[in-house]
Formats: sequence, C-alpha cells, structure tokens
Amino acid sequence: MPRTVEFTDTEFMIAQGARLLEDGKTFFVGWGIPQVVAILGQKLYVPDVIQLFEFGAIGPQSVLPFVRGTMGGPQNTFRSLQWLNMNWAFAYSASGYMDFGMLGALQVDPYGNINSTFLGGTYERPERRFAGSGGGNQVASHCWKTIIVIKHEGRRFVPKVEFLTSPGYLTGPGAREKAGLPAGTGPYRVVTSKALFGFDEETKRMTLLAVLRGLDPDDVVKDMGFRPLMAKEIDEIHPPTDEELRLLREEIDPSRFLIAGEPMSAVI
Amino acid sequence: MTKIRKEGEIEYRFEPPDDFRAFVRDRKSRKAEPKLCSAKEAVSAFVADGDYLVYDFSSLTRGPQSLIREVIRQRKKDLWVGAEFTLHESALLTGAGCATRIDVGFLGYGSYIGQAVCEGRVRVYEWTNGGLALRMLAGARGVPFLPTRDLLGSDNMGVSAAKVIADPYTGLPVAVVPALNPDVAFIHVHQADVFGDARIFGTNLFALEAAMASHRVILSAEEIVDPEEFRKDPMRTTIPFFLVDAVVHAPFGAYPGAMPARYEIDLAHVDRLNGIRSEDQMQKYLHETVYSVADHEEFLDQQVGARRMRELRARATIIEGYR
Repeated sequence: MPRTVEFTDTEFMIAQGARLLEDGKTFFVGWGIPQVVAILGQKLYVPDVIQLFEFGAIGPQSVLPFVRGTMGGPQNTFRSLQWLNMNWAFAYSASGYMDFGMLGALQVDPYGNINSTFLGGTYERPERRFAGSGGGNQVASHCWKTIIVIKHEGRRFVPKVEFLTSPGYLTGPGAREKAGLPAGTGPYRVVTSKALFGFDEETKRMTLLAVLRGLDPDDVVKDMGFRPLMAKEIDEIHPPTDEELRLLREEIDPSRFLIAGEPMSAVI
Repeated sequence: MTKIRKEGEIEYRFEPPDDFRAFVRDRKSRKAEPKLCSAKEAVSAFVADGDYLVYDFSSLTRGPQSLIREVIRQRKKDLWVGAEFTLHESALLTGAGCATRIDVGFLGYGSYIGQAVCEGRVRVYEWTNGGLALRMLAGARGVPFLPTRDLLGSDNMGVSAAKVIADPYTGLPVAVVPALNPDVAFIHVHQADVFGDARIFGTNLFALEAAMASHRVILSAEEIVDPEEFRKDPMRTTIPFFLVDAVVHAPFGAYPGAMPARYEIDLAHVDRLNGIRSEDQMQKYLHETVYSVADHEEFLDQQVGARRMRELRARATIIEGYR
C-alpha cells in the first residue's frame, strides 16, 4: 500500500547529506546542519567516518541529543581522538587529509561558487549582512569533495554570486588550479530541498542528478536563476526513511531546533 | 611603531616583527610576580582607546565575557576587534560604541550586528577564520607574513589585505596574510596561578598564538591554583606566566556561554541576546547587565543568582577528557 511520508525540507536535506558520506573517510564538519548530517550518517550509514571541527576537535563522537548553542563544548568534542586548535585543524585539511566538507550557502552559481556574506548593495553597505566565511573558505578550498547544502529556492541559484565567499570551480575548468587552489579539489554535490546536483566533469557546471520521488525534473529546475545541465538519467531520491526520521526526531534533535523547516511530503 | 597600514582601500593592523621583538625585550617582564587583580584594574591598566583586541574562544564557549563586559563598562572607544568567532561580543561592543572595526572570522549572530554593518556603524574586514588564525600564528612566530592555499579566487581577497604572490620556489600563485600583533588579548581559562601560568581544558582557537603575539595579555580564570601544579604537570600548561600581564579571578567568567566541564550555556540568556534587534533593546540590555552593576560579582549576584549558577553547573555532566 502506498503511503504518504511527512517531513521538513531540512530533514530531507540532512538525510540526503548523510547518505552521501563514505565510510572510513574524513568529514570536515561545519556548524549547524552539517553537524546533524555527521551524527545521522555516523549512526546509520558510516560508523567509521572521522569528523573534524575547525575549533580543533579531531574525530569526536557527538553526544546526543544535539544541544543548540554548543560549539567546541563537551557535546561536540566528546570522545575525540585529539584536541587541538584552529591552525592545526586547518593543517589537516590543507595537507589533504579531509575527504569531505559540507557548507551551507545563501547563493550558489553554476560552478558551485558560494556566497554566504551579504545580499544586495555593496560589501561596505550591504542590504543584508550574514556571517560570511567563518572557516567555509578553508573547507571549500582544501577538502577533496565539498558538499553544498542549500534550500531549493530559485533566487538562491544565480548566474553569478554577489560575493564569492568560498570557491567552487570559479570560472570553469582549470580555474581553481590557475588561482593556486589545491589541485583535484572542488564542489562535489549540491543537496537541496528538492534535488541533488553534481558537477559535469568537462565543463564543471552544475548538473541535475536526481529529484525527490514524485517531483518533475523540469519543474524542479524551472525557477532557478540559471539552467543546470541535466544528467542523461535523472534518478529518484527516496524521501527520509522512517529510521532517519526517528533518529532525527527522537535521538538527535528532539527539541526540533535544527530539523524544523517547511513541511513536505512524498508518497512511497 | 607602524600600527595601521593603508594600501589602496584596505587598512590592516600590522607591526614589523622587529618592533614587536623590541617591545617584548623592553616591556614584557620575565619576573614571576603576582598579577592577580580585579577586572576593573586589568582593563583600565591594559586596554586603551584605539586598541586592537583579540579573544579566545567565543561568547558561546569559554569566552572572556566578564572582561568584555568590563571593557563596555569602562566605555573604551575605537577598538578594532580581531574576532574569529564574532558572536555576541561584536554586537555588544558595537552597540556600546566601543568597537569601530572588526576583522572576521564569522560575523554572527542575531540581527543586531548585521544591521550595524548595513548602516555603516562598524567596518568589517573579511580575513576568514583560517586567515585570522594564520595571521595570529605569524605574529607569534615572528615572521612578517605566512602563505596559505585558501582565500585564492575568492572575493575575501578584495576586502582584506591578503595578497596573492608567486611562490618564490615554484612560481605558482599562493596567498599570503600579514602577521597580527594585537595590543591586547583576553583569554578565559580553567585554571591559572597568580603569576599567569594557565591551563585550558578542551580545544581552543589560538590561545597560545594570541598570548605570544599580543603586547598585553589579560587572563580571566575560573580557578586560581598553586604555581607548583604547573611544574608538576607541564604537559597541561597552555600558557606560561611570562606572556601574561594580568590575572583576574572570574568564576562564571564565560557566562552566559559555557565553560567546558564546569557549567553549561544559559540558553535563556543567550536567546535574550539573540533577540536584540533595535537600539533601544541593545541599550536596555547593556544598562541592565553592564552599566547598572559595579562588576562581574555584582552581575552574578543580581542578574544570575546562586540558584541559576548551581543549575548550570549541574548540567555540565560531561567531564571525561577535561582535567
């Protein structure tokens, strides 16, 4: 019997992110949603993933439930392999030890360049100012594969970001290397609240790989500020599973601080 | 001493390494002298208008919040803040009229500081977390700059004084950031002795780098311990005494943030800070928590209370690893 699953857009993005991690690899974890992705992934799919935080927690196993407002405190540095500081944390990524990184974004362009600094106006007098890079620039510069997490709203997908906070493929093939960024790195996937994108090997442009079950790929891309490439076959993304939702809601974030969001549903 | 350099549009704090070395030679005492004093004395003696200030860690975790409040209470002016995690500190220092420039970092959070940037009330330079940490390392290491393979290709390059140069060995492009030698560093620690030897338990941002790179170092400590403790267990020393100028005994000095393994974050108070949007709300908050109380102790007595502090201590149940 088909049934309807209800979830939030955030839960869907978190579940997708958790499914992208690979076991036995390293994961540079940013603040917020990536933390929950790491926890869910480690619980369900990749028990031996090694988390690393910019504030010097190397290989922590976060305590549940997630407590908002903690950063570098006991909850997300618990049972680490090593406690260090920021210069050493970025040494791990700069020397090639970080396989995955994950970052949120205000805007993203076809080459996976990220704006997380401001919207509207100029840098000096923006209309809306946000947190900026934090360690995001280092994560996007150093990690072998960077995963971008962004709400699927057309206005967030722009032909050119207003401010390039963290580098994607810049202006296209070879541009990262030409700029001096570490070779062989760059954005790997873009996880949205409707779809999953990758990057075309040749052109380095964003490519639609899959959409949430029940959605039409053309509908998914029609509001975007640029036309992404389309994979030959567009896969279907399974909505959050019962187990993913149970863990998120009961064990990881029972206060629903991070997993709250727009209601969505899918028939399975 | 050249403290601020302007090249093109971007101003940045810089001091030639020899000037800093001379300061260390002439002005930093190596004598083990008692440096215990009140926050009022420390801030009034070691923080001047126009200073460049850094701190470790953040307003959520082990931040020197009681010292930040004392800076506000003393109405310091025209501070330039090196703020890796610019959380509530930046909003409060800006709202109080103390800070006019901020090097970030992560500019967060709550809408107040974003609005202040939009209105041009505070200038922000974009060094990124890794860039600021590296500047601090260069300052501590006595070199004029350090290279890094990030920042490249990003717009942060245009709104900081980071530069791209040709690597002298390979000719390939590499980013460089100038050393940072702040006027003053605030570091909140778990334990210190009266001379300034200090221990931090858990991770840190750049506590040792900041202590070595800064002209003056003010510690606030949850606990004052016997100096012999450090000699018996040197692996656990985060900062040795001769880097330090003042030690302030400040239990609950990180409040409303958390002190790992000592007390948890006061989320209700943090929500109140996050909720500050208007100038009225900011001034009301500053009046209640800073201007209307004489010092940190009075703040804790009147605004937090023994019962709340007991609760926050009781919530700090994870102690494994913190010793």
